[in-house]
Amino acid sequence: MRSVLFAILVGLVGAALLHIVIILALPQFTGKDAYSRVLGLYEMDSFFPLTSEPGPTGLANDDPYLRVAVCGFSVTAGPARFVAKGAIPFWSLSIYDANSNEIFSMNDHTAVNGNLDLVMATPIQLVDLRKTPPESLAQSILVEMPDEEGYAVLRALAPMDSFEETVRNFLAESSCEPFRR
Amino acid sequence: MFRIPLLVALALFVTFGVGIVSTVSALKATVGFGAIALGPWVAFPEAQTENTDPYAKAHRARAGKLLYGGAEGLQFTAATDSAGEKLSSGCSYDIVGITPPARFWTLYATNANDQPMKADLALPTATNAWTVLRQPDSSFVIHVSPVAQPDNWLALRRIGAFKLVLTLLDTPTAGSSGLIDLTMPKVVKTECPDA
Repeated sequence: MRSVLFAILVGLVGAALLHIVIILALPQFTGKDAYSRVLGLYEMDSFFPLTSEPGPTGLANDDPYLRVAVCGFSVTAGPARFVAKGAIPFWSLSIYDANSNEIFSMNDHTAVNGNLDLVMATPIQLVDLRKTPPESLAQSILVEMPDEEGYAVLRALAPMDSFEETVRNFLAESSCEPFRR
Repeated sequence: MFRIPLLVALALFVTFGVGIVSTVSALKATVGFGAIALGPWVAFPEAQTENTDPYAKAHRARAGKLLYGGAEGLQFTAATDSAGEKLSSGCSYDIVGITPPARFWTLYATNANDQPMKADLALPTATNAWTVLRQPDSSFVIHVSPVAQPDNWLALRRIGAFKLVLTLLDTPTAGSSGLIDLTMPKVVKTECPDA
């Protein structure tokens, strides 16, 4: 009887260890995390507008009033530049790294003239950009990217059906491209 | 003769059984630590950041949702009414009050697994800060019900348990710990014919 209790006790200690191991290791192997889902759309370097029905990787416009576009990008070869313009009631952008940690977020009120113009770059690329600032980046916000890869989420607000077309154009004309001088 | 292998099998069974069940239920039960609870409304302002706890990281990797960044907004979810009872789509509720300061807010209902509730396209399944009808003091009353209601109506499908999602966009409260003093609208049960 004592040995059965001992076996259960050992089992519970093992269960606690297993619990901790699963929780800590889960982010590495779910394959369902937001970054894998963004990459699964096979759209690098451009904003991919999501639909209200879940797409091939299960990403969708969850909020009925927010239209979302996602873009997977990499700064290995050069900085990435995000540009969007348009008169819509609200937009916001978040940059995440490959582990879905937020690096940077902004909205139209924190932007210059309400337009999105953001450059993500590695620290070395940033030094280079600051030393000889290109003319075209005079208005841009420069942000340091700690990792090489990540994804951007651009949300645009359509409070009523009549905004639908403007918002769709806003997302369609937004760009997420490698920056070249 | 088989005592030792049996004990080892028992220990392994307890390890894997309890370990896996406790992990899955922990990830289902909550998004992680660091929640802000204002009445029935719960938000996780740190869940998308590097500094969040391992449970929140495991949860978000498993759910695969696109979370809101600090400057974007803060998403509150309510699974119970203000009295603490689970929301059921057989009942009717009133959402009464005002939201904390934000540039915009949206409100919609989801099923128990956080998927948007699919209802008839002609029915009002969501409302927002611009379309909601307000009282003279700018507070609002939203009737959440499976049957049609006058004034602000949020249509439900009869699917059992559901959740309400209130998203505050560009809210100064997203990053502040002063959120505890703010008032969220109350969720009051008005009618429950099934129960």
